[in-house]
Formats: sequence, C-alpha cells, structure tokens
Amino acid sequence: MNQPEIGQIAVSRTFDAPLELLWKAWTEPEHFMKWYGPQGFTAPTCEIDLRVGGRHLWSMASPDGRQMYFTGSYKEVVPMERLVFTDSMSDADGNAMGMGEGMPKFMDVTVTFEHVDGKTTVTVSHMGSEQAGMGWEQAFDKLAAVLANA
Amino acid sequence: MTTDTLSLTFSALADPTRRQILARLAQGELSVTQLAKPFKMTMPAVSKHLKVLERAGLIVRGREAQWRPAKLQAAPLREAADWVEQYRQHWEENFDRLDAYLKTMQEDEKESAG
Repeated sequence: MNQPEIGQIAVSRTFDAPLELLWKAWTEPEHFMKWYGPQGFTAPTCEIDLRVGGRHLWSMASPDGRQMYFTGSYKEVVPMERLVFTDSMSDADGNAMGMGEGMPKFMDVTVTFEHVDGKTTVTVSHMGSEQAGMGWEQAFDKLAAVLANA
Repeated sequence: MTTDTLSLTFSALADPTRRQILARLAQGELSVTQLAKPFKMTMPAVSKHLKVLERAGLIVRGREAQWRPAKLQAAPLREAADWVEQYRQHWEENFDRLDAYLKTMQEDEKESAG
C-alpha cells in the first residue's frame, strides 16, 4: 500500500503471523478483547455475533475506569478475506448514540485480510455509511486536494 | 476543536458542489455571481451553499452589500485533516497491541500442539 496521503483514512499493517490467526483475533471475543483499544486500555465487554446482520457490542475502558461502548452490525462476513461492519458509540445496552451531531449515525468499517509472503496484511478503512450520502473517503480525497491548493 | 465544529466541517464537505466552490476559492476571492457561473445554478442556490460553508467556518464573506466576496479559511480544513490523523493514530496503536498479542497467540498454539 502507498504511503497514506493527508486525509486518506485507510490504515494498513503487515503482521508476521498466519492469516488464520488474524481472522481469529478479529472475530473471536476472547482474542479481540485482548488487543482492542489504546495502550493501557482494556476491553471489558466484547460480544460478536459473526454473521450478516449479527450485532457486535464492545467496550473500551480507560486506565481510570471510564468505559466507552461501541455497537453495530456485520454487513459482510467473508471468512479469511473481508469484514464489513457498522460502528457507532452506544450505551451499555447497545443502543446506538451516533458519532456526533451532523455525522452519520453509523460508520462503515471495512477490514481486509491478505496473505503476503507468509505474512498477513490487514487494512482498516472507515467511512460514513449510506446515511451520509457519500463515503467520507471521497470527502477526504477532495479535502486533501483543497488543502494542497490553499 | 469541538466535535460539533468538526461535524459542520464534514457535512459541509460532503456536498460535491461545495467542494468545487472551495476549490475555486482556493485560487482567490470570488463574488456569488462569479461563483454561480460555472455551476449553471441560480444565485440563491449558490448563496445557500455559501451559508453552509460560512457556518462551518470554511469561508468568510466580505461586508460590502453588493459584492460580498467569499474567501477560503483553511484552518477548519486543517483541523479536519488532524482528526483523520488521530483516527489513523488510533488504529496504529491498536495494531501495536495486536502485533504483541499475536505472538502470545502463536506461543499458546505451539504449547497446545506440543
């Protein structure tokens, strides 16, 4: 993947691990909760109903114990290849609260998995879902162009 | 920067016409009449877009009643780009932890296999 430009919102990393392991780490709660969230945070809640239309509910707890919940549902589940799910901040019961006024209520998060010479490249991209009328990625591309000219 | 300002920036940028307006203003100040020309849009329609951009702080309008040139303000755009950078940072941190955790997973698998 190319060096991300300003405004581009896809993040990639190549891991020295087999693809099967990465897939597990993303789709099985006991593994997911071990790494999701910033350094020093924990993920006390992690429910994953891995099928199209199935819900996820996970939380991040900061070192001082404050919890933030995220929920959404899976739109695509292609084993060992691709996950697409919606994501929104929520309360502890999984009632979506949106990402803030004026933003789409749910974001679409796309995660792709690729074999690369015995390693695995994972790419996460984030965009507004249909409610936004367009993907954010497009907006970011334009944003980068405008910034370059300003 | 508050989330609300950021929301205004992003919803203002979500419209292709408004992005074109911004791109044109990146070249210099323009009046509503000048802006309306290439878009085959009525002046009230252009004014409406300008109001959205103004509310998001992406442009400022001159004071002269007739002319009121619109001028690009780059700061909110930069802040929006910073927000994207924060998001990227968030995933980089998650990936660092995932990388460390994968090693644990691999060791566990070896143990249970051996």
